[in-house]
Amino acid sequence: MTALTLKLKTDLAQRVDCSPLTPDKLTGKDVADIAAMELVSGRLTLPVEELFDISGDDVNDIRFENSSAKLDHIGHAMSQGRITINGDAGAYLGQFMTGGNIEITGNTFIYTGCEMKGGQIKINGNAGDFVGAARSGYKNGMTGGTIIVTGNTGARTGDHMRRGMILIEGNAGEYCGSRMISGTIAVLGDVGKHLGYAMKRGTILLPKMPQHGITANFNDCGSHTLAFLPLMFASFKKLDSKFAKVEGFSRVQRYAGDVGGIGMGEILVKI
Amino acid sequence: MIINGVSIDKTFAEAFPMKGTRIIITAQNLEWAMHSATAFTGFATSVIACGCEASIERTLDPSETPDGRPGVACLIFAMGGKGLAKQVETRAGQCVLTSPTSALFSGIEGEDGKEIALGKNLRFFGDGYQISKMIDGKRYWRIPVMDGEFLTQENTGVVSSVGGGNFLILAESQPQALAACEAAVKAMKQLPNIIMPFPGGVVRSGSKVGSKYKALNASTNDAFCPTLKGQTKSECSPEVESVMEIVIDGLSKEDIDKAMRVGIQAACDLGAENGIRRISAGNYGGKLGPFHFHLQEIMA
Repeated sequence: MTALTLKLKTDLAQRVDCSPLTPDKLTGKDVADIAAMELVSGRLTLPVEELFDISGDDVNDIRFENSSAKLDHIGHAMSQGRITINGDAGAYLGQFMTGGNIEITGNTFIYTGCEMKGGQIKINGNAGDFVGAARSGYKNGMTGGTIIVTGNTGARTGDHMRRGMILIEGNAGEYCGSRMISGTIAVLGDVGKHLGYAMKRGTILLPKMPQHGITANFNDCGSHTLAFLPLMFASFKKLDSKFAKVEGFSRVQRYAGDVGGIGMGEILVKI
Repeated sequence: MIINGVSIDKTFAEAFPMKGTRIIITAQNLEWAMHSATAFTGFATSVIACGCEASIERTLDPSETPDGRPGVACLIFAMGGKGLAKQVETRAGQCVLTSPTSALFSGIEGEDGKEIALGKNLRFFGDGYQISKMIDGKRYWRIPVMDGEFLTQENTGVVSSVGGGNFLILAESQPQALAACEAAVKAMKQLPNIIMPFPGGVVRSGSKVGSKYKALNASTNDAFCPTLKGQTKSECSPEVESVMEIVIDGLSKEDIDKAMRVGIQAACDLGAENGIRRISAGNYGGKLGPFHFHLQEIMA
């Protein structure tokens, strides 16, 4: 069996909802069935074959070729299998996913890994705003799984995040970890203003003091050696990421906040 | 069967099923890990009165521990999962949480994924300041304490185990019986998955099932008490002046098989010239448990 390859053959005028194209939803379908499936694009529904050249037959290994930032909801609620995207992806990549792997060579638009519960998303590029966040009006962002971004992320990374891990090799935008409930965000580069705004619990791990410093909403708890950090760095070793090569540290300055709220979150900065 | 002049009785040791787990205690250095492990496994020689049987299995290099610090592996056994959970929790709370620089981890995967709480309930000591971290699919708790943070894994695995494997060493004198036991315990300590829960690994007060007193389930094994040679149906021949027992708990019957073989061999290596006369075992006529360790088969 070879990977089911969906090669985008047109410049898209409208956004396309790709949520039906997951390993779970394609199980038991042959190429003809898949070609005839309809996708919502703007106010139209279009058959898959009108948008994509289809080849291969392994629905557990799906490849999007020549992908576009207008392809939304790729990997929606997938529970297993693998999706590889060559190019960019639109909004809501991996939304609600509970398992499996998504890897993309380009950039993603907003709400990557929105409310995901498990699995792994690796973005070999930049991600837009609200990575691992909750949808607008919802209270729980991602509740499990791992998101790795080799580039930068936009604003509100991990907004309302409840569990899981977001690892950013580049920089994170403003309001990183905003309204975070739990989980871990680690950023190897810099972070924007308002880090941990309204953060309730959870951990933001930084190898260096951010350019904009720590806001007044976080209280300095002093320097400490924390025993869980070596375990966490050891768990990074199996990742295909710069984090696997980061020299682990356990000595950190601990800042607790956001004290405008319950103040149980923490920003840990390597010292 | 005779090995190096030592007679091996045609009998079997009788053992019973238990539930067991392995926990790993780490600390800033081995000395402090050992302080904590010694306390954790204290007063845990026999389920008869201690509620569990526990001992240090071995010390661990930093490369073998989850957090890369020196550590100690302990095995703890109880008659059931609930009893084991209670013992692990109270001992972890009083002996590991309290011990400076310590951290506590599970050292075993549960049978069919079965687990009991390790630090799951200790987290409440954190009074709301505790922090949970999921790392590699396992949950850990960070509990703020006065020396920094106590890190503990939430759960540990439970496996079906075997308790009460044993053999008796009959010797011409007390020092000779003890020397043989010391040699046996030293050899058996090199093996994984087993512990000898009694002080120094040796019991001098082996028991039989039942008693003339209704309140007691066990009483002195009079058949092997040398001072009663003339008063009871004794197992001690005229030249035997001291009998000591080594009790073994293990994660499987095979682990106890191996340990008994190694231990008996070490005792026999001292031989008849050092006063070691016989090897026997605690055989209770099938009343104690379903696991039977036949001495001659083990040593064949």
